[in-house]
Amino acid sequence: MNHKSALLSRRTFLRGTGVALALPWFETFAAGSPAADETPKRFVSVYHPDGVGLPLKADPAWKDWSWFPRGGEKDFELTKVLDVLEPLRSDITIYSGLSHPAVRKVHGHSNADQYLTGAATGGHGAYKNSISLDQVYAEHAGEFTRHSSLVMSTNGGVGGPRGAQTQSFNREGRPIPAQNKPKQIFDLLFVTSSKDAAARLARSKSALDLLIANTRSLERQLSRHDQATLKQYLDAVRDTEVKLAKAQKWIDTPIPEVDTQHLHLDAEPKEARLYFQTMYELIYLAFLSDSTRVATFQLGRENGEGPHDLLSMAVGLGGAHGLTHSVKNPKGWENLGTYNRYQAEEFGRFAQRLKDTPEPTGKGNMLDNTFAMHGSASSSFHLSRNYPIISAGGKNLGFTNGRYLKFGKGNEDNQAGAGIVTDAGWRGKMEAEELPLAQLFVTVLQRLGVETDTFAGQTGTLSRV
Amino acid sequence: MKTLTITILLVISSARTMLAANDPETPLTLEQAKEVGRLKSRFLKEARAATADPRGVPEASIAYFQESVAPVLTRSCLACHGPQKSEGRLRVDKLNPDLLTGSDVARWREVYNVLSNSEMPPEDEPDYALADADRGSIVDWLSGELNKASVIRRNNKEHSSFRRLTKYEYNYALQDLLGLPYALANKLPPESASEDGFKNSSELLQMSAMQFETYREIGLKALKRATVSGERPEAVTYIVSMQEEMNKATSGKNAKTFDKNDKSYRNNRNRQHLLNRETGKGFHFSGGKSMPQPEAVTGQTPAASPVVLVLPRSNELKLNLDRFLPDEGIMRVRIRAWRSTMNPDEYASLRLVFSAHTSNNANFSQVISDRDIPVTASTEAPQFIDFDIPLGDIQRNPFRKLTTTFPRRDEFLHIHNVSNAGGGEEPLQVLIDHIEISAPFYEQWPPKTHTAIFIESDNRSEEEIYGREVLTRFLRRVWRRPVTSGEVDQFMALFVEYRPGFSNFEEAMLEVLATALATPEFLYLTQRVAANSPETPGTISDLELASRLSIFLWSSIPDDELLEIAEQGKLSEPETLRAQIGRMLSDPRSKRFSQNFVQQWLGMDGLDSVTHITDSSLQEAMQAEPIAFFDEVLRHNGSSMDFIHSDYAVVNERLAAHYRIPGVHGPHFRRVPIEPQANRGGLLTGAAVLAMNSDGKDSHPLKRGVWMLERILHDPPPPPPPNVPEVDLTDPDILKMTLKERIADHRNKPACVSCHSRIDPWGIAFENYDALGTYRIRIGNTPVDATSELFNRQTLEGMDGLKRYLLTDRQDQFARAMVHKMTAFALGRPLTFADRADIDSLTAQFRKKDDRLGDLVHLIIGSDIFNSK
Repeated sequence: MNHKSALLSRRTFLRGTGVALALPWFETFAAGSPAADETPKRFVSVYHPDGVGLPLKADPAWKDWSWFPRGGEKDFELTKVLDVLEPLRSDITIYSGLSHPAVRKVHGHSNADQYLTGAATGGHGAYKNSISLDQVYAEHAGEFTRHSSLVMSTNGGVGGPRGAQTQSFNREGRPIPAQNKPKQIFDLLFVTSSKDAAARLARSKSALDLLIANTRSLERQLSRHDQATLKQYLDAVRDTEVKLAKAQKWIDTPIPEVDTQHLHLDAEPKEARLYFQTMYELIYLAFLSDSTRVATFQLGRENGEGPHDLLSMAVGLGGAHGLTHSVKNPKGWENLGTYNRYQAEEFGRFAQRLKDTPEPTGKGNMLDNTFAMHGSASSSFHLSRNYPIISAGGKNLGFTNGRYLKFGKGNEDNQAGAGIVTDAGWRGKMEAEELPLAQLFVTVLQRLGVETDTFAGQTGTLSRV
Repeated sequence: MKTLTITILLVISSARTMLAANDPETPLTLEQAKEVGRLKSRFLKEARAATADPRGVPEASIAYFQESVAPVLTRSCLACHGPQKSEGRLRVDKLNPDLLTGSDVARWREVYNVLSNSEMPPEDEPDYALADADRGSIVDWLSGELNKASVIRRNNKEHSSFRRLTKYEYNYALQDLLGLPYALANKLPPESASEDGFKNSSELLQMSAMQFETYREIGLKALKRATVSGERPEAVTYIVSMQEEMNKATSGKNAKTFDKNDKSYRNNRNRQHLLNRETGKGFHFSGGKSMPQPEAVTGQTPAASPVVLVLPRSNELKLNLDRFLPDEGIMRVRIRAWRSTMNPDEYASLRLVFSAHTSNNANFSQVISDRDIPVTASTEAPQFIDFDIPLGDIQRNPFRKLTTTFPRRDEFLHIHNVSNAGGGEEPLQVLIDHIEISAPFYEQWPPKTHTAIFIESDNRSEEEIYGREVLTRFLRRVWRRPVTSGEVDQFMALFVEYRPGFSNFEEAMLEVLATALATPEFLYLTQRVAANSPETPGTISDLELASRLSIFLWSSIPDDELLEIAEQGKLSEPETLRAQIGRMLSDPRSKRFSQNFVQQWLGMDGLDSVTHITDSSLQEAMQAEPIAFFDEVLRHNGSSMDFIHSDYAVVNERLAAHYRIPGVHGPHFRRVPIEPQANRGGLLTGAAVLAMNSDGKDSHPLKRGVWMLERILHDPPPPPPPNVPEVDLTDPDILKMTLKERIADHRNKPACVSCHSRIDPWGIAFENYDALGTYRIRIGNTPVDATSELFNRQTLEGMDGLKRYLLTDRQDQFARAMVHKMTAFALGRPLTFADRADIDSLTAQFRKKDDRLGDLVHLIIGSDIFNSK
């Protein structure tokens, strides 16, 4: 692969031009970014709809096809669903007993909306969401990279309320449109250069100049006390200038060159394996080139038709959503497990690729500096409980892997929630006790360097993680 | 004047004598308590001069202290606050009697507070009791000294009224500036509240880069909404004629019609249906699919149709509009409607809901009309009801542009009848015969919002000249002052730079105007000082007064009239000012004052976060009540003592039902007389206050007590100390106790007693009201015990006793609190000790005006403190 060398040359270029670009405003920018020369900290979340297979313990399928491992924290044993991750055993953690309290009684078909937000998105009526985990981190880390985040899904766009086709929501709770075409994502990352953006930027700079002059003339007519108040405004304008300078820097910086030979940028979801691997490869390349440090990837809608339904064709199975509804048919659990196994396999391939790549500008390998999450907001039967979550990497962020972390009480065998065994049970009473997933999110944010102790109204971190 | 006052006092005293002559066991009525309490006012007794001492530097009256104050303090206070014992770490013998230069002002204020509120000495210490005359002399001396101390500190103020606009003020300012009636500032982060509960407090209104960028974004977006370019766009129009719907629906052979004259009609009457009023033929109809009609003309008045839609209470018409509504612009929904019956106790109104059901479970619906519009017309004279909905602001079906048919792409408009109609043979129903839906809708082309910015001018073709005209006009409104041509030059230069990048004048100019909307003089309330004396506080200019006034009363910028008067330098003339205040208070924008002041003063945000009110119409009514009550008192220039107690309530039907007040119909708030047994009247018994100061299941005396002290008496308790022991609910002994016993148990812990003994008794007096504010006399099987004893051994017998005590003994404290709160809101800054003399002076004037609320607004605006920088 010669794209790595191309990336190295881009970095060399950056260092080389640093001096040439050292205009006063650029200097301010550099001084204001203490983390600029630190090892990047990355976050990626992959979401798959419709949960996983969790047969009852009495079911013959339980032994092989229940998604969660068996055994203890360190001596856990992976079933056939996740055994593909065995080679990465020391780099992953599997969590059980976590869910978002606000939506435990919402039907699984509406779940993609709240997995990363924890908002009370409800089942009907008016709809309100809140900021997603990745975007909280993007607000923090976005300034170091050309793109503050990369938002992808198989279906693209935003979807509908309670039928999200994106995992990412901004601070106002509005969905951020996801990209689903590999070619477009590639162009966005490695080809696009926008004349419009440059013109807009030039206009903004002139506007800020005017505002500063205007503020200065007001300042002279204020008391000393009020001048101090006005300084806050002036600082805000100056900070904005710095941001513009940064945007300008990205316009002036050549886009990293990447070899496209190994990429199948025209892949579509019906070519499931190819599409899946291409999308993962794009996240990998975006991280490798430090084009962004934040990515989300949603494998389609929670239900019904759509490109994602075709991903299961990779393992010779029909519509993915249908698999979750036919678990009581012959080989039903096995089929769903096989599809989930395939999802884990691709996630594992991606994690392995990060692990095999030394960190271009820092310590360890890329996986060590990346917290990669894989999960769903349903367990089985569209129950919005006991989310099946795997994380990989993050060693340098403070995560200790090679563990199966069980949280909560009352569902130690991870049977479908509270003994509910049909799709009609999603409203059922919750017998088992679970912990708020948002506490894991707080842990993640803190280790990524975001100072916070709450997320989605939940305070505190998750112990043992 | 003097004679009149004396006469009033005589009348009151004779009333008092009369009362005293009555059976001593009969307590005063609350209205009598108001009169009795008023007689005790120190503010009314004192013949105080204006606050500032005209002779120059005030001096401390140490001699008087040594002669008259020190001996009394020694006699009544020293035993507990002296060398032997220093309760509350206070030693009165160590306090420096010079308040002007000494460092004990804060302690003296505490002494003043406990003495003037009769909290000290404790009533159960008869040996140390303070004679009224002695108490009066200490309080008077302290009051005078504190005032002097405040005056000399006035010149080194910690806080300024220079501040940025709050989120809501910015929103109103932008709305009023551009003539756009929609919420524009939702993207801004919410404000936090000061210790006093105010969100407009200068020290908290921060600015960040993110906030600044959001202003720029909102400004440009709002300007684009206010203006148009190019030709008038073709509107998408749907016309729903009930006659045609009936024709369509019944054209098939198997259409199930029914007859109004059949007996079975009663089964159909309360389900929405089409009805031919001539033939009596009916047909069930919940709405169908409509398609845009390319040739349709809107705004017509078609001939009355014999076929009408009958929309009973709580029913709705659901129209499928498919996927053709445009992304942006106003959707005008025009409905011809009338009432089936005219019983004045019944009302019906229309509400719009928008929804989509895109796939299994991925659905939504939301109310899109910002208020319900009442249907008032009779059959003889139907009315047109217009709703204007900004399509870009509502949740749309994101799949509407798919080329495939799944997920579903269609969007639904629901027309809902919100009504209190009863049943019977002739129930009130809404009748509709004609509906038009059109978007984008423009009243005129180009719209007024556009021509207000891009004004008519003979110079339109000459961009340099016309640009200056547009800018001069716009900047004057944005900055609330005349602009100089040099200032216009700056913006013109920006325009000239931008112009080549845009295809027309307007687009380039909008970018420039958006920059003006990000200037500090739009975003901040400024107060200029003369260049050579930057530290001398002075009087604000007429222009600054205009802005301060409009922000206070309208939460927004001045309108043209106010601005013009200020530009002419006439605003500070007392008669002009009085007239302008009057005009502003009768303008609908002054509702914003009632709303924002009351919400912040009473901390009404708390009601948004409760989860135990399941009826949203009740919650809305609760939220609206204190605002409507305040508005009622303000409009009638009533006494602020009505906030403590009134013999009327201001309610709507929903809330009246909650309070069990009969005979109130309709959704609007109005004043109704109430009997004492209603157990309502004033702000303290409002359901909102009671519900938000609950724990979700039951009343919460501690929260209610803290609320009383903070919001009503302006005597906030200190925050709880760290490591405060929690009430241990796993302890079976504690679990067995009643709430009041549990509180008492907690209070008796040494770490808690000093604060809780000042808080809890106030809250316990509210115990007759549950978590929804419903009056109760039992909790489970136990009678409610709402009797409590204040720190000063004063017994409060429930809410009635609490009100009686406040009205007889705490009027001054409440009046002063009211002045303090409203002044802090009016100035948009925290008040400090340096403002004390001004607040006292205002309070004295306010009390002399019989505590009238409208007068208070005038007094504050006319005061030195409001007119100072």
